[in-house]
Amino acid sequence: MPVIFINGEAVDTGEHPTVLQAALANGFYVPHFCWHPELSVVGNCRVCLVEQEGRGVNIACNMPVVDGMRIETDSETVRAQRKAMLQFILLNHPVDCGICDKAGECTLQDYHYAYNGEPALSREPKLKGTKFYPLSSRILLDNERCILCSRCVRFTREVSKSNVLGIEYRGDSALVRPAEDRTLDDDPYSDNVIDICPVGALLSRSFLHQARVWYLEPTPSVCPRCARGCTVQLWHRKPEWQLKTLDPSHNTRILRVTPLENPRVNGPWICNRGRDLGEVLERPRAEQALQKGAGVTMMEAIEATRALIAESTRRIALVSSWASNEELRAFQNALGDRFTSFVKPDQLPEEGEVVEDELLIRADKNPNTRAAQDLFGSEAPEIREDADLILVWGEGVDFAQLPRGAKIVFLGSWLLPEVGHADVFIPLSIQTERRGHYTNFEGVVSAFEPCQPRPEGVIDAETLFPLLAAPGGARGRA
Amino acid sequence: MKHLIPEFERLKTRLPPGHDATLLLPCLRRIQEDQGYIADGDIEGLVEYLGVPRIQIEEVLSFYGMLRRAPIGRWHLQVCHNVSCSMRGAERLLDHLSGRLGIQPGETTPDRRFTLSTVECLGACGTAPVVMVNEAYHENLDPAGLDALLERLD
Repeated sequence: MPVIFINGEAVDTGEHPTVLQAALANGFYVPHFCWHPELSVVGNCRVCLVEQEGRGVNIACNMPVVDGMRIETDSETVRAQRKAMLQFILLNHPVDCGICDKAGECTLQDYHYAYNGEPALSREPKLKGTKFYPLSSRILLDNERCILCSRCVRFTREVSKSNVLGIEYRGDSALVRPAEDRTLDDDPYSDNVIDICPVGALLSRSFLHQARVWYLEPTPSVCPRCARGCTVQLWHRKPEWQLKTLDPSHNTRILRVTPLENPRVNGPWICNRGRDLGEVLERPRAEQALQKGAGVTMMEAIEATRALIAESTRRIALVSSWASNEELRAFQNALGDRFTSFVKPDQLPEEGEVVEDELLIRADKNPNTRAAQDLFGSEAPEIREDADLILVWGEGVDFAQLPRGAKIVFLGSWLLPEVGHADVFIPLSIQTERRGHYTNFEGVVSAFEPCQPRPEGVIDAETLFPLLAAPGGARGRA
Repeated sequence: MKHLIPEFERLKTRLPPGHDATLLLPCLRRIQEDQGYIADGDIEGLVEYLGVPRIQIEEVLSFYGMLRRAPIGRWHLQVCHNVSCSMRGAERLLDHLSGRLGIQPGETTPDRRFTLSTVECLGACGTAPVVMVNEAYHENLDPAGLDALLERLD
C-alpha cells in the first residue's frame, strides 16, 4: 500500500486511489463541492486544493496517490488559493441564506465561514437568475444559488440513469436544465439530488419554507415501503423547540425523510416513495377498540378475543408483513401453537409506481416479509371454508373473501373501512411509536426508533399477544 | 439526416469501438452544413443512431453558438463586434446593415435572403472590421464596401 505524508504525518492510503479520499479517510478534512464518493470525478469546483511538495497546488480529488508524496492540506498557499476559489464560487451567488431552506446544512455556508469569511471583492453587480424553476412536481431549482458543481447531473447519468438533467449554455449563462421532452418526474430517485446539492439550489417543494433545519432532529428509522428496507431519517421538531399550537400533531409531524447512509442496504440513496412516508404513516389512525363496530375498552376487546379463541377450533392467522421482528416473535411465542399462520402482503404495488428496478426498489411492498416467512412459512394464505376464527393482523385483506361462518379479529393501525366490520378490532401502534427491527429481503436487519407519542387507546402488539394468550384475568396496561 | 448515415459510418471506422458518442459534434456540423440547421427530428435521429441521451445533444447545441436549431436566410451576415473591429467601425457597419435590411441582429429579412448576427472575434483583427458572409471573410469594410458586397448577393 502506498504511504504518503499529509501535513507531515505518514498515512497508509489503503485502497484509496486519490489524495482526497486518502485524506478524508484518515481524518484530514479537505473541503469539496463537486466530488462525491458515489459519483465520477469532474474536478470543476476547484476547492479541494492541496499542495504537493515540489509540484505546487492542485486539486486533491483528481490527484492519484503516489508512494512517498508529501501533501499539505492547510499551508499558507493552499489557504490563500482556496480563499480565492471561494471568491469565484460566490461571485454570482446571491447569499440569500436568510430565505434559503438549505441554510444550516449548506456546504457553501460552512466553507465560507471556515475558509473565507470575507465580503465579496468584486464590485460588479451579481447576475440575476431564475429563482423558482420547477424541475418536477417535487423539486425547485434556484439558478442564482447554483454553483454548477454538476453533482445532480452526474447523479441522473450515473446512479439513477434517467439522463434527465444537463448543463445547458456556457460560461455565466450556464444553467442546469432537464431535457426538453423530460422532467425529473420521470426519475423515481430524483429527490436524492436535493441531498447531494452542496448549496441551496435544489429544494424540496414539499419541505419548502416548512422549517429551519436547526429546529429539527432526525430519528433513525427503516422505510417500510418495500422489501429493500432502506434506512432513513425521519425529521421532526426538536422537543426543546416545540411550537405553541392548538394541534399538537404539528410538533410531531414528519417534516421530511432523508436517507440514512448504509452501505449494506441503500448506500446514500432512497427512492421518492421513501420520501413520502408521511402519506402512509400519517394516515388517520384508529384509536378506539371496537366490538362489531361499537366502541369498547381495550380490556373488553382483549377479553372478547380470548373468548373467541377459546370457543373456536379451526383458527387461522394472517400475519402482517409490516410487523417488526420482535412482534412476530411475540406472536409466535404467545399464540403460534393455537393458529395456523400464513404471511400475507399488507401492501401491493400501486398503479403508476415503479414496481421493481435494479437500483433499490423491490416488487414486494412490505418491509418484513422475510422475517415473517422465516417464522410462519412462505405458502400463500389458504383459508379453509370451515375456519371458525380468523385473526387478521395488518391491512390488505378483503373481509368479503373470508368464509362467512368465521369470526374475525382485526389488529390494525389505521382508520380503514374494515375496522367496523370485524367482530373485534384492536388498534395497534405503528413503527414511529415503538422500537423494533425489520429484516430486509437479503437478511440484513435494521433498527427503527420511536419519534411520535403513542396515541391513547392504542396498544403495542408485543404487549397484546401475551395478554391474548393468558388463561384469564389479564393484567397489565390496556 | 438519414442520407448522411453512410458518411457517419465512415467516420465511425476512425474511432475505437464504443466511442460513438464522440461523433456527436462532427455529425451535428455535417447536418447543419447539409441543411442549414439542426431540426428536432435530427436530434431524435442522433439519439437513436449514436445512443447518446437527448440531454447531451441539447447541451452541445446550446454550448456552441454556431449550431442552429432553426433555419436562417440564404446569406448569413456575421458582423464581428469585438474590440479591434469595434474600434475600426464595426458598430457603424452594424447600424448600416440594420438600416438597409430593416432587421436587428438575430433577425432574418421577410424574403429569407439575409440573416444578421453579431459574433465575437473572428481572428482577423489586422484587417478589421470584418464581416463573415456564410463561410467567406470580407475584411477592411466600410459602409460603401458593404453596399458593394450586398449588391453581389442575390
